[in-house]
Amino acid sequence: MSGGRVLVIDDDPQIRRVMRSTLTAHGYQVNDARSGEEGLQELRNSSYNLVLLDMNMPGMGGMETCRLIRASSEIAIIMLTVNNTERQKVDALDAGADDYITKPFSTPELLARIRASLRRMPQLPGGADLQPLMAHGVNINLSSREITVRDRTSRLTAREFGLLTYFLARPNKTISHRELLQAVWGPDYGDELEYLRVFVNRLRKKIEPEPSKPIFLVTDAWAGYRFHLPK
Amino acid sequence: MTSVKELRVSEDLVAAPMGKQPYLAFPTTRDVLRKYFRLVLRASASLAFISAITFVLTRAIPVNPTTAGFLYLVAVLLTATKGGLVESTISSVAAMLCFNYFFFPPVGTFTIAEPQNWVALFAFLATSLTASQLSARVKRRAQEAEERRGEVERLYALSRALLLIDTSQPSANQIVQQIVQTCEIPEVALYLRGTGELHRAGLEDKDIESRLHESAVRSAMLKDEETNLVITPVRLGGEPIGTLAFRGATYSDAALQSLLNLVAIALERANSQNTVMKAEVARQSEELKSTLLDAIAHEFKTPLTSIKAVTTDLLSASPSRLQHCDQELISIADESADRLSKLVTDAIQLARIEGGTFKLNLGVHFPASLVKSALRQMKPVIEERKIDVQVPEFLPPVRVDAGLIQVVLTHLLDNALRYSPPANSIIICSRLADDKVIIYLVDQGQGIKPEEQAQIFEKFYRGKNERHLQGTGMGLAIAREIMRAHGEDIELTSAPGKGSEFSFGLPIAPGSTAQ
Repeated sequence: MSGGRVLVIDDDPQIRRVMRSTLTAHGYQVNDARSGEEGLQELRNSSYNLVLLDMNMPGMGGMETCRLIRASSEIAIIMLTVNNTERQKVDALDAGADDYITKPFSTPELLARIRASLRRMPQLPGGADLQPLMAHGVNINLSSREITVRDRTSRLTAREFGLLTYFLARPNKTISHRELLQAVWGPDYGDELEYLRVFVNRLRKKIEPEPSKPIFLVTDAWAGYRFHLPK
Repeated sequence: MTSVKELRVSEDLVAAPMGKQPYLAFPTTRDVLRKYFRLVLRASASLAFISAITFVLTRAIPVNPTTAGFLYLVAVLLTATKGGLVESTISSVAAMLCFNYFFFPPVGTFTIAEPQNWVALFAFLATSLTASQLSARVKRRAQEAEERRGEVERLYALSRALLLIDTSQPSANQIVQQIVQTCEIPEVALYLRGTGELHRAGLEDKDIESRLHESAVRSAMLKDEETNLVITPVRLGGEPIGTLAFRGATYSDAALQSLLNLVAIALERANSQNTVMKAEVARQSEELKSTLLDAIAHEFKTPLTSIKAVTTDLLSASPSRLQHCDQELISIADESADRLSKLVTDAIQLARIEGGTFKLNLGVHFPASLVKSALRQMKPVIEERKIDVQVPEFLPPVRVDAGLIQVVLTHLLDNALRYSPPANSIIICSRLADDKVIIYLVDQGQGIKPEEQAQIFEKFYRGKNERHLQGTGMGLAIAREIMRAHGEDIELTSAPGKGSEFSFGLPIAPGSTAQ
């Protein structure tokens, strides 16, 4: 049984060897690339479910590779970083990563993050069907994950989609940071406010007519976020 | 210590420029003699002119007294336009005397018979003297205007020259050189009050240094008429920053003030460029340090990542896959990898803090979530220990660098875990003070002796009785430096046998009210 196809992009041969061996043992199909450029080529040639991307690589570098992958694909990306400063984490998420893990990490932790990233996103409660939503010139088509704002169309990544559907199922209700993190990222999460900040900003850029003055996804200071749905 | 820098100026710069009127230069005795000689010559010429006119009017073309009077007036006006006040006055008086002697009856004497001729004679004298005065005044004005124009030109040339100063070289020396060259002042000295440096071209006077210093301190101008020496403070924003002395030139007050302003601006400009350059060098060196530390971290952590991935994978497999002995050996490798990783992290953190390459990334955070995040990071280490957390959720948010405060908490917690028996619990609690939330970390270990309490925050210090315990000896030093960067500190209360209590304050975010 295959858990999914994983592409490891890292310049260190030992890391590629270990990843290939451990992830294969846990049921994933693994391929690797030595650089960002090679990784992008590989992603064009065949399809993958997840990319493990090293932040610090010679040549293009992890951050730029992440941006380029994200520009054309909604594939799950986990970044491997050495530096665990908040700034670097936020930069990684801003570049389009879904998650990050700090080196050195334990294999069970990595496996948990991979599972969380590949996990099917929570469905709308009560089996509600995904009706297109239209308000204020914004057209959110949940079935195709496409959003059109003033003739500008963008697609949502899996995590963004998960976050948006969670909000849409609970309109006009303040949802706490912890609840959002645990529902969308998984039970192991709860205090990673930087994830929320970055992903809410990413969502705002896609769904808000004016991302700096959000009308849908509003912040309730200290409490959480609320999806304001005009009645 | 005052340093004196001599500046040798080539001869052609000191010598007054040939062909130009050295109006800026103080006159020498030779100049004065020449001036008087010229004056006598011009006065004689004007007398000769009047004599010639008199000769023509009396002998060659005899005219009546009225015509003679007008012709004398024309002669005086011509002299006044060509010559100065002295020549025109002399020729006025001479013309009046000749007019009287040769034309007013009785002719051939200085007596005047008719009273109305007195009136005519004085009218003639008054007209010719007034014309002389007016003409001389116009000439003087023109000359003054010419002098001002010359000063402005020189100051403009100086301002351009000062802008082109090579800021990589000492600037004061170049300023002195430029004043000598552009303003054609042969002897110049510049004293800088800040550094006590003296730069000079010429001005070899023995007491010049003390006089410059005195002028700078008193912020007063000194003029020595005898030696033609001018010593004047250079002020910037009212504050004297140095003194300029020169000899061999006169400047109008306005021009001198502009010259001093130019010098002050040039000094200040050189000063600020120097500061900017130093800051840029420091920034580049910090950037380099930071990049180097990142590279070192990456190089150390990459092999550790492979080791950790392998050991944790093997240890997480169901026990049946490994012999008990293998499991023990792999655990040793795993723990050693953890220890090495912590050493690298601590060493790099310390290098970053000590090298001044870390900046606070301040944000607003809840104390409870900061503590929870730190505990989550420590999860594998604290699993079997009893940690009693009493930090309520309702505490007001604080403005700190969350990542660094978590580092502080993990180091303090690590310290408490290491130095207290596994059976004893560790308490993390909090208290709301005026403008901060104070976090306490209390252990029930063996405590720290008073004489050791100050030392434990020093780098690489390890408790005397705990040398056998693993640890990097950097944790508490890092924690204290991070708190100090936040404007806070770590307090320690401890007594041997009773455990220790570490505490630190987190400043409450502005605008959030304590509930």
